[in-house]
Parts: sequence; C-alpha cells; structure tokens
Amino acid sequence: MTTPGCGQVSLATLTDYATGELPGTDAAAIEEHLFSCADCAARVAEFDGLVRAIPPAVGSAEVGGFVTDAVLNRLARDGVRMRSFTLSPGAIVPCAVWDDDELMALRLRADFGSASEVTMRQRVEGSEVIRATGHLAGASPAELIYALPAAWVRQLPAAEVEVLLSAHNSGEERPVGSYTLVHGGSLHR
Amino acid sequence: MPETNATLDAVGDEVLARRIAEGPPGTTDAEEAELYRRFAPRVRLYGRRHLRDDGAADDLAQEVLLRTIERLRAREVRRPEEIGSFILGTSRMMVQGERRITRRREALAARFIDTTVDTAPASTATLDARLVAGCLRSLAERDRLVVLLTYYADREAPRIAEDLGVSSGAVRVIRHRAMARLRDCVLGGNRT
Repeated sequence: MTTPGCGQVSLATLTDYATGELPGTDAAAIEEHLFSCADCAARVAEFDGLVRAIPPAVGSAEVGGFVTDAVLNRLARDGVRMRSFTLSPGAIVPCAVWDDDELMALRLRADFGSASEVTMRQRVEGSEVIRATGHLAGASPAELIYALPAAWVRQLPAAEVEVLLSAHNSGEERPVGSYTLVHGGSLHR
Repeated sequence: MPETNATLDAVGDEVLARRIAEGPPGTTDAEEAELYRRFAPRVRLYGRRHLRDDGAADDLAQEVLLRTIERLRAREVRRPEEIGSFILGTSRMMVQGERRITRRREALAARFIDTTVDTAPASTATLDARLVAGCLRSLAERDRLVVLLTYYADREAPRIAEDLGVSSGAVRVIRHRAMARLRDCVLGGNRT
C-alpha cells in the first residue's frame, strides 16, 4: 500500500468522516472529492483495511488491557470464551484457566476517590509481570476491568499472583487495593 | 491477450468504465475486478458513515458495484468519464433505500416482535490479525480503549466521551493519535 500525494484528505479527516463527526456540508464535499480522486482512493483503501482488521484482531483475544463492559459484550457476542473474576480489596481467590478459555477479565473493585488515573501491577513470585496505567472510566467508577489473554495466563507457573492497584490524584499515587489470585495452572476438560 | 492487474493499475477510471461498457460479454472480468478493487473501499467508507454498521457497509459496497457493472454492461451509464460520480450517486440512492427498508423493518419489529437481532456479520479483513493485535497492544491504554470502543464496540462518540469522562473533542484527538500510531505500526515499511 502507498500513501499518495494528494493532501486534501488526511487520516484524521477520514476518521472524523467515518465516525460522523464532520458537519454535513464538509462530509458531502469530502464524498465528492473521494469518488473522483485516484490519489485519495488509495488513502481510503488503507484506512478501510485498517478499520476492517480491528474486529478480527480484538476477537482473537490477544489484545487485552483496560476495557469496559461495551467491549466485553461485543467479545461475548463474537463467541469469545471468557472467565471473569470480581475482586474486592483484600480478596484471595483461587483462579485457574481452562484450556478452552480465551480471555480472563478481572473486575477490580476499589474506592478510587476522585482519582482519574490508575496503575495496576501484577507480580508473580515477587517479579512484576504487568504494569499498566490507564484512565478511570465514568464519573464515579467503583470498579475497573482489565482483560488478559488466557494464553498468557496459561503460561504462568502455579503460584500466587499479586494484583496491586494504585490511584493517581494531583501528582500523588496512593494504593487503593491489593488482590491475590491463587493461580492453579491450566485445567483440562 | 487479457490485461493483467498490473497493467490495469495504470488505466484511468474512465477507460476502465468504457472497456466494461464496450467489451463483449464475458471478456471484461479483469476490468470489473479492478473497478471493484478501486471503488469498494470508498463505498464501504460511505456506508460506514451513513449506515453506522460495518456489515451493512460491506453489503452496500457489493450491491452498488454490482449494479454499476450491470448498468455499464447495459450501456446505461451516460457519462463513463464521471464513473466516480455515478458510483457515489448510486451509493446515495441505495443508502436512502436501505433507510426506508430499515424503518419499515423496525416498524414491523415493533409490532410483531419484542427483541432486536444483532445482524452485523464479521468483516473480512485482509491484514494479519496477529500483527494488528500486537499493534493494538502497543498503544497507550486510553488510546487503545478509544479504538476498541469506536471500531469494535461500535460506540458512538458522545457515549465514548461519557464512558471515559472526557469531552467529545478529547475523544476525537485521542482517536486521531491512536489511528495514526496504529497505521504506522501495522503498515510500517509498506508506506511511502
């Protein structure tokens, strides 16, 4: 694929056009241009290929990260097999993934106060294996959801997985929750 | 000797349209495939904006281009030099028709059934899903979430802003940045 010379329609414009965030008159002008400009046609093909590749990539359950219920609902509709754990601070929960699980969803509950950002760390046998910083969703969230590819969880040793959450507020970081998953390894049906 | 796709690549839209219109039946398969390759992404983009459904946008691209080729073969396209405008016009007409059908379907559904059916089929992607998954993982958490909510969960912009507790303008900026990074990661050296 190549990016041609015509600079009239940028990736940002195509993104705004596709999501309906351009005013009607601007959108109509873009349409007229796109259907007559061979250079921009290549740009559209590139954008189209990228957008169409996202659902199968996410549906492969290899992405993970902070998600919301809207994403989990679509994964469920796509038939992705998920194992979900809802954890309150201090919880110690036995956990295992079955060999046909594709995704593990951790629902981590905590009092986030007025924090807008949170960092999650996971430690296995004292070593940090994941550190992710994300923004809290919604006005007053009581939980956040972190998704992990089950294939990644399966390769962990049978050991305690420590999950630590800390919230950021005005440049300060404070712990808001500690959770323990007693990982029993991969189970076979 | 039939032309290869490589040589057709250099042929303008007008010439392509004229060849389909003037060629004997069964001899213009390569030209028809090339017309589809060129315009399907644009019709899908148009459909994505106006129908808000990837599956419906896929169907629209197929139907519009099928109809265009039929009209060309029947010599009913009066100005082949404006084939792009013809395809855009056909797209507009079919989207209007689709909206009428949808309204009628919804009215019938409201009368006879009490559930909605999710009919969006999976898109057929040509990019490697593992590569794209790896690139999605490499995005910052919030950037990735905006991409997922937009292009996977089909969330409208105001809902994403509400979900993330930021303004619609901020969502737009995050989406621009995330898509640029995703494109650079996925297409990498293939871009010029």
